[in-house]
Amino acid sequence: MKPRLILASVILPLGLIIAAVPPNTTKAYKLTAEQLLNEVRENLQFIHPDQVADMLIQKDPSLQLIDVRSKAEFEKFSLPGAINVPLENLLSEDYEYDINQDVKLNVFYSNGSTDANEAWMITRQLGYKNNYVLQGGLNYWVETIMNPEKPASTSPNEEIAKYDFRKAAGSALGGGGGDIEPAATELDAPAAAPPVIKNKKKKRVQGGC
Amino acid sequence: MGPLIVNEIISSNTNLLIAFFIGIGFGFVLEANGFSSSRRLAGMFYGYDTTVLKVFFTAAITAGIGLLFLSLFGWIDLSFIYINPTFLWSAIGGGVIMGAGFILGGYCPGTSFCAAAIGKLDALAFIGGILIGIVIFMEGYPLWEGFFKAKYMGSPLLSDWLNMSRGLLAFLIAIVAIGMFWVGEWAEKKFARDDYEINQH
Amino acid sequence: MKEAKKYMNPYLGGVLLGLVLIVAFWVSGRGLGASGAPKAALVAGINAIAPSHTANTAFYQEYLGGHAHPLKSWLVFEMLGVLVGGFLSGAVAGRLKFKVEKGPNVTSKVRIIFAVFGGILFGFGSQLGRGCTSGSALTGMAVLSAGGFITMAAIFGTAFGMAYFVRKLWL
Repeated sequence: MKPRLILASVILPLGLIIAAVPPNTTKAYKLTAEQLLNEVRENLQFIHPDQVADMLIQKDPSLQLIDVRSKAEFEKFSLPGAINVPLENLLSEDYEYDINQDVKLNVFYSNGSTDANEAWMITRQLGYKNNYVLQGGLNYWVETIMNPEKPASTSPNEEIAKYDFRKAAGSALGGGGGDIEPAATELDAPAAAPPVIKNKKKKRVQGGC
Repeated sequence: MGPLIVNEIISSNTNLLIAFFIGIGFGFVLEANGFSSSRRLAGMFYGYDTTVLKVFFTAAITAGIGLLFLSLFGWIDLSFIYINPTFLWSAIGGGVIMGAGFILGGYCPGTSFCAAAIGKLDALAFIGGILIGIVIFMEGYPLWEGFFKAKYMGSPLLSDWLNMSRGLLAFLIAIVAIGMFWVGEWAEKKFARDDYEINQH
Repeated sequence: MKEAKKYMNPYLGGVLLGLVLIVAFWVSGRGLGASGAPKAALVAGINAIAPSHTANTAFYQEYLGGHAHPLKSWLVFEMLGVLVGGFLSGAVAGRLKFKVEKGPNVTSKVRIIFAVFGGILFGFGSQLGRGCTSGSALTGMAVLSAGGFITMAAIFGTAFGMAYFVRKLWL
């Protein structure tokens, strides 16, 4: 028998089987309260400022920062490219396209992490994907990225490397790279107008893999 | 269970070691199938040797269907598999440039390394070219950064675009592939050359 | 001289390659690749020779910012393996030999020039397209990624389309 026919006689029946069986959907679409508790306890929702800073510098198009503070606060200071979705408007239909999607990595942030965490918990319970929380919120952001604390010269190399990265990231993102006060940073930051939030992406079919 | 690295069954250093062994398997299979020969690779585009087409698509359907079976048995979680993001324009533009490089140079990056390992000097020249090409890309990055990052579409699956299950799409691809193999074997007879022997079992 | 062994049957080879790919997915959650390795080597090399240059150029800043050490990457180790694996297979089959492989109607010099030129295009294109035939097309197709199919179609479509015009090189 020709090798091609042997291959066909093995692959095609297997393909037929895999086409006929429903895909493995052991993962429930909605989380149980217990699963949610587990995620919260293990802090799975948090994304560290270092990682966000890195993505911002790389202009990573998959990052979408979502500011859940009020509009006034957002206009005073926001992270580059962030959109403003005040917490009370979280469930408004205007924002659903941005929040319920599977293309970008959404990172909620607020001053601390409480409001952002609440936003995350609601969207997670709704089964939305790709939503995360900026660890420590803007306060921690200013502390680590805009105004990093210089480690002692006896610190391990990793600590110093981390500091160098933060210092560079801070100055690249409009901070003073550790030489100025947080207040000044806020004044320097451009109060960018919120970008237009119209996204035509079609919603993904529910279920599947 | 799988992927092992995601579920922290192995450490990241072990992962690098395993990468080395996976590479050995990759290189061995490529060479044993003659991917170390530029005439064989180019032969696909003239029909006198379609080995590359057969190996390439057999591998793709084997892996595609195999992954779905692993997922069916719960041995691998497909949601943790890295799926390369799609940036429409750069995917097409890069593909067109690579296609031109393929037919002019007679190799692609993986096969050129494999061919250089058995002493093909044209493959060494090709690798030199790759290095130059990458340097050009890196040095001129600001010039094409906009194009490079345009039309980001996330990491979509073709099966979602076509609105069918992964299994059905894999099955359809398998049928198409086997049809192409049939055409390939026909072409090898029709475009056979006196100065070239396919030379395989 | 000992006659070189025959090549493997392509369908058997394809199944084996598919299994290697599955192992890569199962262990590391990612497919095979190639073009990332020379890039990592280049970045490491340039960074060692001219650190001030890499510190001031946008691309290197992005790349070095996102990676621990360029050479400590999965693809670099995988490609070292490819060199070893290819050598082993060539040794077993008696195909180890320094030579320039070319079509019957071109000189070695022409072949080398076109190999370099093709390599430049491939090197550039693989960066623009975020992966080459192994990383983007083969791996992408196995996971049914839309991008993988697009890149595959663009590579093979262009090569087929140009084949007639450069037939002097190969026929």
